[in-house]
Amino acid sequence: MNKMHTGRFAQTFIYVGKLFRMFIYRNDWKVLPMAAIIAGLVSYVVAGNLFRTMEGTLRGTFALSCICIWNGFFNSIQSVCRERPIIKREHRSGLHISSYIMAHMIYQGFLCICQTVITMIVLNYAKAAFPTNSFITSSALFDIGITMFLTTYAADMLALFVSSIVRNTTTAMTVMPFLMIFQLIFSGGFFQLQGAALAVTDFTISKWGLSALCAEGNYNDLPNGAILTAMSAMDTNKLTDEGVPADVSIALDKLVKDPEIREAFMKKCGELSYNGKFESSEENILFCWFNLILSTVVFACLSVISLEFIDRDRR
Amino acid sequence: MNVNIGIADIINVSFNLLTYIVGVIGMWNIFLKFGSKGYYALIPIANIYRISEYAGREKDGRFLMLFDFSVKIVSIVFAVIDENSTEYNILVMLLILLTICDLLYSVRVYIGICKAFEKSKLWIILWLTADWICFFIFGVFKSFRPSEEYRDVLKKAEAAELSGIVVPGGDSRLSVNLRQRSVRSFFRKFTLLRDVHLSIPTGHMVLLLGGSGAGKTTFLNAVTGYEKADADISLGSLDIYKDYKRMKYDIGFVPQQDLMRDHDTVYRTIADAASLRLPISISGRERTERIKAILDEFGLYPLKDSLVSKLSGGQRKRLSIAMEYISYPTLFILDEPDSGLDGVVARGLFEKLRSIADTNKIVMVITHTPDRVIDLFDDVIVLAKDAERTGRLAYYGPAAEAASFFGKNSMEEILLSINQVDEGGEGRADEFVRKYTNLVKTAGGEA
Repeated sequence: MNKMHTGRFAQTFIYVGKLFRMFIYRNDWKVLPMAAIIAGLVSYVVAGNLFRTMEGTLRGTFALSCICIWNGFFNSIQSVCRERPIIKREHRSGLHISSYIMAHMIYQGFLCICQTVITMIVLNYAKAAFPTNSFITSSALFDIGITMFLTTYAADMLALFVSSIVRNTTTAMTVMPFLMIFQLIFSGGFFQLQGAALAVTDFTISKWGLSALCAEGNYNDLPNGAILTAMSAMDTNKLTDEGVPADVSIALDKLVKDPEIREAFMKKCGELSYNGKFESSEENILFCWFNLILSTVVFACLSVISLEFIDRDRR
Repeated sequence: MNVNIGIADIINVSFNLLTYIVGVIGMWNIFLKFGSKGYYALIPIANIYRISEYAGREKDGRFLMLFDFSVKIVSIVFAVIDENSTEYNILVMLLILLTICDLLYSVRVYIGICKAFEKSKLWIILWLTADWICFFIFGVFKSFRPSEEYRDVLKKAEAAELSGIVVPGGDSRLSVNLRQRSVRSFFRKFTLLRDVHLSIPTGHMVLLLGGSGAGKTTFLNAVTGYEKADADISLGSLDIYKDYKRMKYDIGFVPQQDLMRDHDTVYRTIADAASLRLPISISGRERTERIKAILDEFGLYPLKDSLVSKLSGGQRKRLSIAMEYISYPTLFILDEPDSGLDGVVARGLFEKLRSIADTNKIVMVITHTPDRVIDLFDDVIVLAKDAERTGRLAYYGPAAEAASFFGKNSMEEILLSINQVDEGGEGRADEFVRKYTNLVKTAGGEA
């Protein structure tokens, strides 16, 4: 009679246990303080204007997406390839690859949640002006937290996939910067892209993370101070000497110095800079989340498929 | 359509044609010098792969061929694409990338050719600037000849004939009728192992002996069903290939390296191995007792809470064996379990394996230092590379009779006699393959 052996479900928990032991004994917990340090550095630079002005929000959310992707990549880029021969041995002894990847998904999910919480706490300490209105849950903080978690998790799964296809940690660490640069350039929000390059952005995690964060931060309702920032450096008294009519020069001076006019002008600039991708609506945010979850699932499935061929590894 | 062809274009085309013809003439002669067919030179892209292969750079040639092909394709697409498009910019990037790779692999292959012809590596400069001149010089000039060693690769060797032996299955024996194990690589078939027929009774501890590349690991992987061969392999009444899902739990394979997680405890390592290998019908209590018994048996119980990284070489090896032995497999295979262990520790380990075999198991071991423990083995399997460099069975029988069969005093001397001459051996593999076949046939076909 065919004897039954440990199934996929039970194996998943065997490996979850193994991974948590590694968390303690192999010092895998190091990624948590690292997340705090990175969040601290970024907050120091971007927290001031985050969710206050359009350009500050775009810069800030772009930086937050980068933090998430960086954390996600570092969590798992070496996790599979460093123990590839061990997986091969265990596969020979009855390990189900799907259980192995599922265990990683559970463990990495835990790491991503911790990193998101740490980043949110650091941002809060850095006095970031979080929005007060929420879209999906009852708290805007929670909405932003979920987006950051999903972005980190999707990046984590992408790195897990890379770790599943490469043979060693050196290759993994060589590939990682390219992936990172690709995610940054093709985020679709920070750099102006056109044509085929614009279409590529749909396949990046950074685009959906950035879009969701901007939408949650009411990007389109924020004032745009980019023009005024440049104008503030201008000496309006000298404009007439440079051929600018006197009435125009006086109007510009008022615009720069009068807080009420300045505020109204920035608001108007903001309205004119409306970006549909960052529309603050439940549908848009859910669509971004859906794409992040889809990426997560696709990369996890690809990891399973690629590792199923581990027996073909040669000495 | 109005096409303007200038004198410069005519010169350009004529020059390209000339370099191509001169290059092909050179290549044709290079193929002849390697003892191959000259017409390979006429097959674009594939010709350079063929030369790489003869120059001992087969893998590099494979990549060079792919990069060469890709560069040509991209160059063609380049000609028909709008210069101001995004696609053009992407292609520029791709072409630069491919050209760099193409150049690097060209260097490797050209160095291989220089080495094959015993010429200075400085030739690489001319190879990279005008390879057609080099092909011509290396091909046409008589003073440029590949060394004997490279020409030998193409010589048709006469390997020992197939034995035609078939061993019966049944009882509680391991019966192996391996006709062939081959792999395909880049449209070519390589036979790694051929014509291995033997039958091992339970309770026997068998030494698997063979030089480098003789197919020892291939044989073990084929026997365990891990890499299936053209073979009939049965353990008792069960066919290992057909019942692989069931059989794999009855086969323990201990790899050469200690593949365990360093940052896990000894107990958890064994417990997790037990969870994977033992059937779920075994109760939790029974499982815990089994784990304790195995830890005790392998002298690891006092270390159960230690991290694997803290264990000594011998302790790690025992843990690695214990991980497989936890399911008490009928067929227990170990790939160099004594590597990195000193004589006393290694002896102790083999004595442990002997005691496992005595519990009616089949224990098969690869070791490169067999003489210090040969008294513990019942049988020896000797695999040897024949003239076609395919692994063949040169002997299977009692360990005590192996020395007289080969006319040698020790296992290491046996190894030396079957190894190829270029490996420092006597190159008598085919002789012993034939002798063994005759011996088995004389004895009535029972291996």
